[in-house]
Amino acid sequence: MIRLSADGDVRVIALDRPERRNALTPAMLDALNDAISRCVGARAVVLVGEGAVFCAGFDLKLCADDPSGKTLAALLTGLSKAVRGLRALEASVVVGVHGAAIAGGAALLGAGDVVVSEGAARIGYPVVKIGVSPAVSAPFLEASVGGSGVRERLLDPELIDAVRAHEIGLVHELVDGDVRGRAMEVAHALAGKPRGGMVATKRWVDEIQDSMGPLGANAGERALEASLSIVGCDEERERLGAMWGKGNAE
Amino acid sequence: MSEMARLDVDGRVATLTLNRPEQHNALCVELLGALHARMDEVERLDGVRVLVITGAGRSFCAGMDLKEVVIERSGDAGLPLRLLSSLGELTLRVRRLGMVTVAHVNGAAIGGGCGLMCVCDISATHARARLGFPEVDLGLCPAVVAAWVVRKVGAGMARKILLSGGLIAPEEAARVGLVNSVVESPGALDTHVAELAERLAGGGARALGATKSLLNELDGSLDEGLIRRGAALSAEVLGTPEAQRILSERLGPAS
Repeated sequence: MIRLSADGDVRVIALDRPERRNALTPAMLDALNDAISRCVGARAVVLVGEGAVFCAGFDLKLCADDPSGKTLAALLTGLSKAVRGLRALEASVVVGVHGAAIAGGAALLGAGDVVVSEGAARIGYPVVKIGVSPAVSAPFLEASVGGSGVRERLLDPELIDAVRAHEIGLVHELVDGDVRGRAMEVAHALAGKPRGGMVATKRWVDEIQDSMGPLGANAGERALEASLSIVGCDEERERLGAMWGKGNAE
Repeated sequence: MSEMARLDVDGRVATLTLNRPEQHNALCVELLGALHARMDEVERLDGVRVLVITGAGRSFCAGMDLKEVVIERSGDAGLPLRLLSSLGELTLRVRRLGMVTVAHVNGAAIGGGCGLMCVCDISATHARARLGFPEVDLGLCPAVVAAWVVRKVGAGMARKILLSGGLIAPEEAARVGLVNSVVESPGALDTHVAELAERLAGGGARALGATKSLLNELDGSLDEGLIRRGAALSAEVLGTPEAQRILSERLGPAS
């Protein structure tokens, strides 16, 4: 469900569950985290999705089938680990988005030093509808979008297209056509730059970011706790169950 | 006083000019020393509300003077840290100044020069100006000015811009907020900045000063330690064999 390949100094991690729109399962996130750990030492990493969309978010059927909330907790924890794991790499990370990046899929954009997308891709965090908190993505949105856009994106379940996402800073570059090809091109360009300056620059921007927020380097951990804090509550179980009962795939 | 920096005062508007046009106003220790000396004067000015910073000739500021940071050439291993620290301190002084600061980016603003643009409260340039942070292409780290870029465009966009290196088209720079406005030509820019400075100077001195001071407090601009550690990190990376080799190649043989 996760495919890791190499192209010179660039590692490519592909979400590979196209029959389910790359919906994330706990096992898939374990595999993703394993793939990330194998990228230590790489110069650049590309994250893309196989099939029609980049990633439709968590596999909610699994969540609805598990009223204990353990599955959802494992998904949130695995996702947070993946985003932070990619951020912690010395490698520059390029995320290539096509089709859709929804909820947990949109959260993965937070791992990208550079995010490229086709303009028509649908992006958003509509999980409040199903009683889930997208707080886990808040530190990333604060850093990339800032201000009123953060609250709008996390609290309003409406999806936006990548053209709008580009306007607010969630996407850095719009691509006409071959998203993966462009992501590879950007990654090779980043991988070709002298290593010392690249690693120091990536780390230093993290440090500045941490110095500016009241939670410092703990923001990521705190954000995960906030999302986990309501897992298993009645509201979430009712809404998840009802949604699944209607047969909605997202 | 060194003529590498000029100061002109016209009513409520002062203009600080980097005056090393034959070197595209590249930052050397002498130019930075001259800018600090002029800032001493600026800080004592009475009744001035706006400080415009600009460059003599066709460039705003081409960044660090490579001749002073290639250690093999200067023979002084301590020079890069002195230069970068002086730049860091200058940006802190510009940020803390009780006047509104305007970057009149008349031409190339590269690396540290682009950082000087970002530390100003408001910046304007023209459509043919060369802007950007190519540090990473040279094996360098723009840490000394990175905090001002983060405060200008946010951490996510700053990370993208600083890691991508190269140049950024003025229109794109304006789109992401790295520069506040872009006009068609250098001539139109002169007019635009003169009007902007006049308009800004119409504000009450205390109202402008109090507002700027609060904004500095809110966005962490008073964190001097961060800028100083940034200068030290830039100097550390600059001193590595990898960076020195690339810079030495870029500089070419001594003439």
